[in-house]
Amino acid sequence: MAFQFEPSVVVDTLPMLMRGLKLTIYITLGGLSLGFFLGALAGLMKLSRNFLVRKLAGFYVETIRGTPMLVQAMFLYFGVPMALGMRIPPLVAGILVIAVNSGAYIAEIVRGAVQSINPGQMEAARSIGLRRGQAMLYVVWPQAFKRMIPPLGNQFIISLKDTSLLMVIGVGELLRTGQEIVAVNFRAFEVYLAVAIVYLAMTISISWGLRCLEKRLQIQSR
Amino acid sequence: MIEIKNLHKSFGSLEVLKGIDLTVNKGEVVCIIGPSGSGKSTVLRCINKLEVPTSGTVIVDGHDIMSRETDINYVRTEAGMVFQQFNLFPHMNVLANVTLGPIKVRGVNRDEADKLGLELLAKVGLADKARNYPEQLSGGQKQRVAIARSLALQPRVMLFDEPTSALDPELVGEVLEVMKQLAMEGMTMIVVTHEMNFAREVADRVIFIDQGVIQEANEPKEFFANPKHPRLRDFLGKVQLAC
Ligand SMILES: Nc1ncnc2c1ncn2[C@@H]1O[C@H](COP(=O)(O)OP(=O)(O)OP(=O)(O)O)[C@@H](O)[C@H]1O
Ligand SMILES: [Mg+2]
Repeated sequence: MAFQFEPSVVVDTLPMLMRGLKLTIYITLGGLSLGFFLGALAGLMKLSRNFLVRKLAGFYVETIRGTPMLVQAMFLYFGVPMALGMRIPPLVAGILVIAVNSGAYIAEIVRGAVQSINPGQMEAARSIGLRRGQAMLYVVWPQAFKRMIPPLGNQFIISLKDTSLLMVIGVGELLRTGQEIVAVNFRAFEVYLAVAIVYLAMTISISWGLRCLEKRLQIQSR
Repeated sequence: MIEIKNLHKSFGSLEVLKGIDLTVNKGEVVCIIGPSGSGKSTVLRCINKLEVPTSGTVIVDGHDIMSRETDINYVRTEAGMVFQQFNLFPHMNVLANVTLGPIKVRGVNRDEADKLGLELLAKVGLADKARNYPEQLSGGQKQRVAIARSLALQPRVMLFDEPTSALDPELVGEVLEVMKQLAMEGMTMIVVTHEMNFAREVADRVIFIDQGVIQEANEPKEFFANPKHPRLRDFLGKVQLAC
């Protein structure tokens, strides 16, 4: 039987994907919020004066960036419970994987942005008696944060797409939902096309939102 | 007010300061001159420990900055610093630049800090710029804000590191004017500068640093009229030619 494209199947599939989409959004937002904390912490640790603290953060970043996220997900979901003797719910594991994974990349973003701020800013802040942490918080960080926005937006998009890998640990996110539909109607072409359209719609919205945000910040700083 | 004894500072194998001795009394204005790379900035930066001395003692208003008991953040509020590149905080308006120290370091409440900030901005002639951002100001205005920002901590001594070197010539005067006024009010000041007229006019003492040591120190009249050290004569000759 010759293949025949059925646009109506694409349209019918879209609403069925909503449940998975919701989960994808939860995992992305949850994972990235956590990932930002991890990344900020690791990024600042990499700038510490303490050798051990620096090495610890460096170890985290190198390990995560040097291994595939798929392996990290399998390890956390199937491997770690063996050692702990208890299962981790797929959703929790999914959020943790995104957090730990994005955290490593965000650490580099944070470190780079903070280092790009003229050292004179830290010196001026210290010279009026601010402690190092205060100088970071009130003077360096706000300036660095502005520079983090474009690369963070990029990471947002990458992490969003990476959530699709979580289907292997049984998280019912967008791609997995699509796969389940295919298992019933065998319309792989239309269903995965619909899945792709949903991802694309999200990534385009994020890019667009970021451009607006950057413009606003540019105007604000005048 | 400031007592520096046998101050040494090395960066790696490069010995920049090779034993500086300098005492600055309350109310005194000391100008430091010397060729580029001779260690003038390093001396200033060792006073508030932006650079950690390799050896020697630095005592600021009775606080030994090398002592473990000394709260260096407190000493830094006593010794205000003005940088060649201004280093204003670009994400804060002018008033916030000035009040950050009082609010976060001294714990002054915002209203009081704003009042103090506006007073200081008026003093440096910039009361009308309080709500502007640094990038909207000229270099001379930026440097005056930087001076107000330091004064907001009510320092006992002010350290100036070539405060007018980054300015267009026509903007130098307004900054020197503010510094002159400070000197007249009795502020203790150490000024690294290439402005020989300012040194001649305002300083109580002028110091020539070269090759990591103080080569000559004298009251300005004698210093400029009768330079003894050959390198100082050479240096003054070059500077005068350049002017
Ligand atoms: N953080 C640093 N690391 C390494 N070398 C440094 C550092 N800071 C200063 N130096 C070196 O120390 C020497 C003295 O520097 P310093 O800035 O004190 O000179 P200066 O007299 O202020 O010169 P200028 O008139 O150019 O400002 C220079 O050779 C400089 O390269
Ligand atoms: Mg210098």
